[in-house]
Amino acid sequence: MKKIGLFYGTSTVKTAEIAKKIQAAFGDTTMGVVAIEEAWRKDFEGYDNIILGTSTWFDGELPTYWDEILPDLDDLKLKGKKVAIFGLGNQVDYPENFVDGIGLLAETFEAGGATIVGLTSTEGYTFEKSKALRDGKFLGLAIDIDTQADKTDKRISDWVAQLKKEFN
Amino acid sequence: MKKFTIKTTDKDTLQRWFYLMTLGRAIDNKAPAYLLQSLGWSYHAPYAGHDGIQLAMGEVFVKGEDFMFPYYRDMLAVLAAGMTAEEIILNGISKATDVAGGGRHMSNHFAKPEWNIENVSSATGSHDLHAVGVARAMVYYKHKGVAYTSHGEASTSEGYVYEAINGASTEQLPVIFVIQDNGYGISVPKHEQTANRKVADNFVGFKNLKIIHCNGKDVFDSMNAMTAAREYAISTSNPVIVQANCVRMGSHSNSDKQTLYRDEDELAYVKEADPLLKFRRMLLRYKRFTEEELKQIEADAKKELSQANKKAIAAPDPDPSTIFDFVTPEPYHPQKYVDGTHNETGEPKNLVTAINETLKAEFRLNPNTFLWGQDIANKEKGGVFNVSKGMQPEFGEGRVFNAPIAEDYIMGTANGMSRFRKDIRIVVEGAEFADYFWPAIDQYVECTHEYWRTNGQFSPNITVRLAAGGYIGGGLYHSQNLEGALTTLPGARIVYPSFADDAAGLLRTSLRSEGFTLFFEPKALYNAVESSTVVPDDFEVPFGKARIRRDGSDITIITYGNTTHLCLDAAERLAKDGNYSIEVIDLRSLIPLDKETIAESVKKTGKVLVVHEDKVFSGFGAEIAASIGTELYRYLDAPVQRVGSTFTPVGFNPILEKAILPNTDRIYAAAKELLEF
Repeated sequence: MKKIGLFYGTSTVKTAEIAKKIQAAFGDTTMGVVAIEEAWRKDFEGYDNIILGTSTWFDGELPTYWDEILPDLDDLKLKGKKVAIFGLGNQVDYPENFVDGIGLLAETFEAGGATIVGLTSTEGYTFEKSKALRDGKFLGLAIDIDTQADKTDKRISDWVAQLKKEFN
Repeated sequence: MKKFTIKTTDKDTLQRWFYLMTLGRAIDNKAPAYLLQSLGWSYHAPYAGHDGIQLAMGEVFVKGEDFMFPYYRDMLAVLAAGMTAEEIILNGISKATDVAGGGRHMSNHFAKPEWNIENVSSATGSHDLHAVGVARAMVYYKHKGVAYTSHGEASTSEGYVYEAINGASTEQLPVIFVIQDNGYGISVPKHEQTANRKVADNFVGFKNLKIIHCNGKDVFDSMNAMTAAREYAISTSNPVIVQANCVRMGSHSNSDKQTLYRDEDELAYVKEADPLLKFRRMLLRYKRFTEEELKQIEADAKKELSQANKKAIAAPDPDPSTIFDFVTPEPYHPQKYVDGTHNETGEPKNLVTAINETLKAEFRLNPNTFLWGQDIANKEKGGVFNVSKGMQPEFGEGRVFNAPIAEDYIMGTANGMSRFRKDIRIVVEGAEFADYFWPAIDQYVECTHEYWRTNGQFSPNITVRLAAGGYIGGGLYHSQNLEGALTTLPGARIVYPSFADDAAGLLRTSLRSEGFTLFFEPKALYNAVESSTVVPDDFEVPFGKARIRRDGSDITIITYGNTTHLCLDAAERLAKDGNYSIEVIDLRSLIPLDKETIAESVKKTGKVLVVHEDKVFSGFGAEIAASIGTELYRYLDAPVQRVGSTFTPVGFNPILEKAILPNTDRIYAAAKELLEF
């Protein structure tokens, strides 16, 4: 497997906790960790396999740390690269925009030529709407530590196993 | 459409935005200090967290073309639209030089009517109807522009907001409804207001309406949304909702304490989303400005605030002797019929014909006249009583048209439309019957406040016609009289004629006057012989001029509306039965009240009977009796007596109606008792 770049807000608490679990689940694989608060377009282009982590703010927005980098990503050149996204959401309190952040990032990185991998089933989740949905699947890993914390570890291990097969 | 981005927006524009945002936030942060120093600004609703959308509203506003109806949190919107820091502080600390209204309106209600940044109610959202009304005028007069109206998401629970959006959709009007969604209506979370988290989704089924969602915390997303909204509204003449997701970083206002219902995590989360800090970070991150440059801009803003503060504090306070200025504008003064009487002979006309012909005559004279109401214009039909019959065919659908069954909409859009030009004169049939006018009371109150609240800058030039009163077997909802309730509100003229000529004359005067007039029509008399009179073609009746319908010297009966005729009947009987000399005064105008004619009569007779159809208890007669008791007690030979209806609703069965409403016998008996006192 080619080198993986893990991008998330390192100043966050919950997203960082999940990112660290994912990093651990990959085991000894070499993984570059990049703080999104300070990242630039070229940082993404340096990896063949990319993992992005985000929460969803308010009624379906990316957090500011992601929002602020988006203008720099309007001409990403990621053709041939694979991108996997994990997102945090709360399907009970925010069922109308559950893990929208996954969908918003998928849109940006697909526009940059990347292939989105790590799609997962919606089975076991209950929500109304999500921008992360495509053809009945999530465009990444949906984590709900507010209402389904007990399922988090298995979801991560399953997803990482899946990524090991799907990554370059 | 050109898109605004951090990378492509020119540096001067970015600098202006950052300056405005920094200055706005500095004023917002300083506002509570004025209260602490007892200098004013006792109501302050901080805007922090709404920075992106408010900057965009002001930036997109085109002075001279657009109208803006900001709400009480829109400080940055008006600053970005061109108001100065000094003007904002003058409003905050209620100085005489406050351009919104000379310190008359509440603080944080920023306005500059001269620029069409409108002075609006604290009943937030009610100004949506005004925006719709002014947009109607823009379309009628082929004016290029849009009307912006803005408020929080919680206000969309109000019925008048739905009425406004429905109307703008139906009439296809260029209105931009900006919903600044910060998640709370004071302490009430939005899930307790409506089921959709994004309230704009409630309106997806409205035809002709475009809905744009944006991040109201992001300058660029907000600018792109508002620019697109304006382009769409102008190019298609259709309404737009811009749903801007914001955060409320502070409490609702200084009378709210958000820590009672928001925990530390939530407040920290909200703080993370601070739009000003985000914009600042981006200016640095994308190397559009250096830290030193930003600090210089911040220093410049601080300096402007300091200078504005000094000037505003030194500005004069309002003069208490001016409180009676601008309650109502100066009316039209009849030239030919100075006291509102005539001696013309000829064929009598009934009341409905007199009103209909006067409306038509004035509409022919003034092309900037408009009429709308429920059920008032469809082919041969012109209202349930045919008062507006023939008007739409003659004046066209642009000037005479039906309104939806939404009385608040009828009134609110009249208020809004009259803002477009001072020479517009609007007549509305406020409701099918006066009994159905109550839903419009919020807008009625608005109309009474406007002239005073703006310190004489804006007067809604509206005549509200209402078919009122009973004696038709109409029951509870076709018999009501509203004047007892409405005469307590300063700012309206209220007239209630009893005869065809007076109705024509008062209506003509109203249509030629600046200001707001409530015109009651006693519907039982529309086709009655007793109210039919000769009506000179150019008849005019001044406001505040009563008419003595029968001279006398023994007692004075003061009356108006339906009961004028009952009083005249009673007076005639008393003359025949006892040779009594009864003076009957038909007030015609309740506000202004002709105290001079009343006084002259009281001095002559020494005895007064006040008669009206409305309830005796707390009816308008109570005010008349009390003022005579206070001001003319020296001339009274007996206590002022009153006759009116019982303190009950009006029953439908004619037996009940008869028991409730005043009649000639009761007036006769009361007058006789007074005569014999």
